[in-house]
Amino acid sequence: MSGELAFVSCTVNGVAHELHVRPEEMLIDVLRERLALTGTKLSCDLGACGACTVLLDGKPVSSCGTFAWQASGADITTVEGLAAADGALDPVQQAFVENSAFQCGYCTPGMIMRARVLLDRNPSPDRDEIRTWMGANICRCTGYGMIIEAVENAASALREATE
Amino acid sequence: MNVVTPGLQTVGQRSARKDAVPKTTGAATYTVDVSFPGMLQAKVLRSPHAHARLVSIDASAARGMPGVHAVITRDDLDGLNPTYGYFIKDQPIVAIDKVRYIGDDVAAVAAETERQAVAALEQITVEYEVLPTVATVEEAMADAAPELFEEEPMGIVPAYGQGASGVRRFGRNNCYRFSYETGDAAAFDGCDHIFEDRFVFSRDQHFHLEPFVTVARMDGDVIELWTSTQNPFPLRKELARVFQYPENRIRVRVPYIGAGYGAKNNCKTEPIAILLARKSGRPVRFCMTTEECFLTQSQHAAILDVKTGVMADGTFVARSGRILLDSGAYSDASPLVAEKAGYRLPGPYRWNHLDIDCDCILTNTTPAGPYRGFGGTQAAWASESQIDIIARALGRDPFDLRMQNVKSLGEAYVPGESGIDSDLRAGLQVVADRAEYDRRSSGDGRGMGVSIGFKDAGGVNKPAQARVRITTTGGIYLECGSVEIGQGIHTAMSQIVAELLNTSPERVVYPELNTDYTPFDQGTNASSAIIVMGQAVQQATLEARQKVLEFAARELDCDIDEIELDDWSIRKGNETHSLAPMIMRYYGGTGYEFSGAGFFKPAMDHAAPLETQCVSWEFGWGVAEVDVDRETGIITLVQLVVSGDAGRAINPLVCRGQDEGSAIMGLTGVLFPCMVYDGAMLMNGNGLDYRVPLATDIPDGFVSILQEQGHGPGPFGAKSIGEGCMLPVASAIANAVEDAIGVRIRELPLTPERVLAAIDEAAG
Repeated sequence: MSGELAFVSCTVNGVAHELHVRPEEMLIDVLRERLALTGTKLSCDLGACGACTVLLDGKPVSSCGTFAWQASGADITTVEGLAAADGALDPVQQAFVENSAFQCGYCTPGMIMRARVLLDRNPSPDRDEIRTWMGANICRCTGYGMIIEAVENAASALREATE
Repeated sequence: MNVVTPGLQTVGQRSARKDAVPKTTGAATYTVDVSFPGMLQAKVLRSPHAHARLVSIDASAARGMPGVHAVITRDDLDGLNPTYGYFIKDQPIVAIDKVRYIGDDVAAVAAETERQAVAALEQITVEYEVLPTVATVEEAMADAAPELFEEEPMGIVPAYGQGASGVRRFGRNNCYRFSYETGDAAAFDGCDHIFEDRFVFSRDQHFHLEPFVTVARMDGDVIELWTSTQNPFPLRKELARVFQYPENRIRVRVPYIGAGYGAKNNCKTEPIAILLARKSGRPVRFCMTTEECFLTQSQHAAILDVKTGVMADGTFVARSGRILLDSGAYSDASPLVAEKAGYRLPGPYRWNHLDIDCDCILTNTTPAGPYRGFGGTQAAWASESQIDIIARALGRDPFDLRMQNVKSLGEAYVPGESGIDSDLRAGLQVVADRAEYDRRSSGDGRGMGVSIGFKDAGGVNKPAQARVRITTTGGIYLECGSVEIGQGIHTAMSQIVAELLNTSPERVVYPELNTDYTPFDQGTNASSAIIVMGQAVQQATLEARQKVLEFAARELDCDIDEIELDDWSIRKGNETHSLAPMIMRYYGGTGYEFSGAGFFKPAMDHAAPLETQCVSWEFGWGVAEVDVDRETGIITLVQLVVSGDAGRAINPLVCRGQDEGSAIMGLTGVLFPCMVYDGAMLMNGNGLDYRVPLATDIPDGFVSILQEQGHGPGPFGAKSIGEGCMLPVASAIANAVEDAIGVRIRELPLTPERVLAAIDEAAG
């Protein structure tokens, strides 16, 4: 069933890890079960819903569809890695809090990671760009309006912070 | 529309939700995150046949597979009541005599890893005798159709009041009929016009992102489970019956829930997880895949025949209807959904006569159960579509015809019922004004439609208990069984408690729901939390407050009327007295807790059709504006304006989320394919093929307007808000399509193929 173990050296939320992983082991399983980072959620397990989105070298990936060995040498960020060490929330998290841009919260870590990358790439997205970008993730609770507004507000907050 | 009650400090604030930080940082614990050393993983063998007799099953090879600790087949059910359900106990933990749909549970394995469990399932040998299949309600009702149940399963018919009745096993594969009748059928004879239409409703799947999941273990002789459930106490009762076990030795714990929309009521992953935990002596986690969720629960597809008699001047007179619900392979909550679909078919209008039957037809498909709207969505689709058909036939504006016939504030819904507690005309005017209905362009591919979504809220005869405890230093525990499933109930209840105790919501803690400690509740469903549990919470808080004030008055040697609670101090004129030192002087330095208990239950009333009067009426007013492309049949939503009446919004942000979320959920059944079956085989039951609305599907013209009309029975006049705005969506869009291109579509979803077929048919 399993072949030889693969050696993976990676950084997760700024912390270096060295792991031996099975060839078929998925990144989400390493994050959740071996590193106890359970904020990343598994849902469709087909890379379609976006709930398991994490950042791999700054790119959003479905951790359910990424083999753990693909993370070798990579810098990974999960939702646990966004807030500052003193607990201060990332502007995207803060905007989700203030705009009540979540309900059950199961899609929220993936949504926040997706939005984070958008704002890293484009600090001033318009509403259509936000909608298109966030259209990669499913939320069944909110109807999306409050999520889109949260991303707009996070963009404003980030711009103000850098001005 | 926002009405501000003077003097409220906390209620009405757009404060951040209580669960905001855990849910945005990944710290929130869901059942999927619960883990124990030595925990096993459960997997289920599912039927490949839609209908078959189970001739033999041999799991001996599986039991010896690596990592396997327990296997369940029908041979492992001794000593149990092995079937569960709501009114009818017909669904087995694993198949006993037959399998009844593709995906039916046949056997289960607990192993150290999921892979080992899957490998062991492959070693189970099952011999089936394939039986004829009924995939649709028409097939299931045909004279020669095979019965899913040759013998009548155990079950009950609940007591009904004035005009309502229920019958089990009413014809072939019909597991339950609900009927409601009032007035004289001769009323049809005096009508100037009779309209008879058939409407077909699609079948959505809840697609809650957290799957069905349970972690179960034995803690001594206590069955302990962490589970993603909306109704922990009824679940405990059902598990006690199934396992023939005392209720107080079953401990149900409910972490955060990754949504449910109705699906997470009653037994899902729990019986198998418990049985495997008992057999293995290990903690067992049973977490379904998304594909398995599609094979476990769905909404009810429906066929609705509606006959309505009206006068030439547009006055509504009489309505009769027959609804066929596709219940899937087991009765599940179908009889309860039938009650509501049947009872809600009249809509909030004046009638002299009503005669409605709603039948639950078993088919060899995924069992249908509770789904947001609970029969009201199906009823509103038919009722509100037909009102437009009537309006157009009479040459009347559909908006005006509704205004003419809709019930007034305070008017009883039907004889024996409570009064309507929203101003329906005012509500409809709000959405019409926002959408500029009067200035709409009709025809030429663009049109607008209105609809009023309606349901009775608060469930039937639901009791609720709550407890409030306040520590020496003013920390507040709110102990109540309303589950935080995403709707924001922790936030709303905390704001209510804080308001009544004149303090900040930050002081309120909502302990984890654990049936060993949490006061009893019948479940977080039926839009009941704010209007039913809310009243219990209010009473518990007021009782605790009274005890504090009585204590302080005694200590300060004054009358209770002379003092007020101000955060965790007592104000007496210009003096302020801290409570903590006062408490420790009297009760000792180690402190004390004040507590208050609350209880609410609607009164029994045989004059009310459902045995208690409805606690509150929930509404969603909607206007849709569409562009319809006559060449492609594609409907583009230009505007969707929805509005609910929160009575008094405890937290307007949370209310907005409920209105918008339910409206967009309502789009799924209208503009997306829903569950597609080829015979009895579900073709799109996975996260990739099943299309739900995405951010890119939401038009700029989507807006929700929160009304606070102030007439609700909940604390501070609050009303339910979780389901209303889903209800008008389908009919508003179909009504808009007719306004745009002059054709009426009576079947959901409104696919391009159906639009084109309707255009062709209209052209003759």
